[in-house]
Amino acid sequence: MTFIRCKQLAKRYGEVEAIRAIDLDVAANEFVVLLGPSGCGKSTILRMIAGLEDISSGELWMDGVLANDLSARERGIAMVFQNYALYPHMTVADNIAFGLRRMKLPEEQIRRRVAEVANTLGLESYLQRKPAELSGGQQQRVAIARAMSKTPKLFLFDEPLSNLDAKLRNHMRVEVARLHQALKTTTIYVTHDQHEAMTLADRIVLLRDGRIEQIGSPREIFERPRTKFSAGFIGTPPMNFLEMAVRPCHGGFELMNANATLRISAGRFSLAGAERVTVGLRPAHLVLVPAASRGPQDNQLIGVVELVEYLGNEVFVTLNHGGGELGALLPVRQCPGVGERLSLAVNEEDVHLFDLHSGISLALEAPESQSSLKIVGKARYAA
Amino acid sequence: MSRLNMGNRLAGRIADAVLVLAALSAVLPVLWTLVNSFKNRVDIATSVPRLIFTPTLDNYLYVLSRESASAGLVNSMVIAGVSVALGALLGLPAAYALARYPGRWTNDIQFFVLSIRFLPPVAVAIPLMVIWLEVGLYDSRTALIVTYTLMTLSSTIWLAVPAFKRVPREIEEAGVVDGYSKYAVFFRVALPVASRSLIAAVAFSFVLVWNEFLIALMLTTSDAKTLPIVASELTQLGRDVPWGILNASVILLSLPPLLLIGVLNGLLNTSLKKKD
Repeated sequence: MTFIRCKQLAKRYGEVEAIRAIDLDVAANEFVVLLGPSGCGKSTILRMIAGLEDISSGELWMDGVLANDLSARERGIAMVFQNYALYPHMTVADNIAFGLRRMKLPEEQIRRRVAEVANTLGLESYLQRKPAELSGGQQQRVAIARAMSKTPKLFLFDEPLSNLDAKLRNHMRVEVARLHQALKTTTIYVTHDQHEAMTLADRIVLLRDGRIEQIGSPREIFERPRTKFSAGFIGTPPMNFLEMAVRPCHGGFELMNANATLRISAGRFSLAGAERVTVGLRPAHLVLVPAASRGPQDNQLIGVVELVEYLGNEVFVTLNHGGGELGALLPVRQCPGVGERLSLAVNEEDVHLFDLHSGISLALEAPESQSSLKIVGKARYAA
Repeated sequence: MSRLNMGNRLAGRIADAVLVLAALSAVLPVLWTLVNSFKNRVDIATSVPRLIFTPTLDNYLYVLSRESASAGLVNSMVIAGVSVALGALLGLPAAYALARYPGRWTNDIQFFVLSIRFLPPVAVAIPLMVIWLEVGLYDSRTALIVTYTLMTLSSTIWLAVPAFKRVPREIEEAGVVDGYSKYAVFFRVALPVASRSLIAAVAFSFVLVWNEFLIALMLTTSDAKTLPIVASELTQLGRDVPWGILNASVILLSLPPLLLIGVLNGLLNTSLKKKD
């Protein structure tokens, strides 16, 4: 069931087009993450859905109702802000109850609801404190409690964890995931942190310059990026991009530059007529070839080690690959020395190809059913 | 290291001493006035200041029993109170609108509001006198209230705009998401969050009109005279300066602003700690 439908939704500030006519459907109970670099318009979309920002053109449907001109209250939403936005002059209990008081619920019921929500988020002992007396993590929990208390139809999160330190951020991320698992409330979550997006989302909406770059499950976006931008934005360390010449050969194509030859079988990419392409290789997909089997073979890339970064479980190696840079993630015991000449192999399935100019993926789509991907997404919570 | 410490400590002592001297230079005259207001004339007019004397309330009784003084006190309270209330009532929403909904005219409006205070009071007072005479409201509380409201409005707006701007926008948006209208957000979120600075703004405008002398002098002759005018007239009582009476009237004049700030502060503290 579709819960939110954005039809050609656009936002203009004078001449500047912040959001350029996007189409987006969000299903009931779904957890959708709007991901993108700063200034891509992800918060603007969220604020339009919240009713905090006017919609310049297009339609916003919520639960089957055209919501363009509905007030924030009529939309039945709750929102968690980046800097918590707690009311500094009220206690935690009053902060949580503020929205309920607007609904004119009986005081007894409000008290029960506040206690309930505080219990869920472990805030019982802080109810009589002022926000200024709480730590960042506690304040964020109060903000989430305030949002939960109204039992909204839609949860909106605007970079809720970016003010927290790394450890707390991980902890709160798990709490947000657990909360969604328990409440099943439809959620739209804005972040610039791909790690948050990958771990929380049923579907990621990747944005760039006010346009949707790609929509898909985390796995879909990671494994089958539709553009060079998607491929480069998702995944750490980021994907390597190399420019290579294309030459048809028996049973497929050969991609070449001075230090590498990759053989690609026909049928995976639409390469007919292409002369040069951008090749995308993830650092983790590069495997060190033992010295014994080194040679002028296919699917191998040669490079000289320039920098070795120790990451604990693995080392990140930066190689000089015929003028360009090439990053590879190698097991610690294979740690090479600086200046060493390495040969790296890659599986044909792990090669991504993009149009040299438009950056659009050249992969021939093998349509995969949405439902199977969704189950993958849900299974992560259970684990 | 210990030498450095000693140097630091010495510097700290010197700074403290300077601060204490500065504070004393401000407080001592006030204290001396307070002490003298309880003295008989014989205790004041001595070549060696007297600290031990029989206190008397005669000065206060004299000031308060004079019809002109009590009338001046009532006038001052009504005029200052109403013009400050009007200034806050109209100025705070105006300041909020200027801070939160900037438009093409925002800067011009803010500048205009400030520019009301540019002209020296004398330059304003004479035309105002003519206007109020024409209207038939010369020497009335109404005339002073309207005139003073211009002053309280401009100082309240000018001080309240930055106070409202300091309220994080997200807090107000949270109020909107919680279902409140723009007006409810103003009253229930913006006003209380900014209250400390706003109270300072209101108190400042009160002090401004409470102490106002020149315009009041020009716009009143008898009925609407405010306390500063009445107090200034006390010096003309005779050839001998009545020091005790003067001191008592100074103290009486200074009390209301102090009381107001105290009351406002107390209100603020209780409203903030209501639920503790």
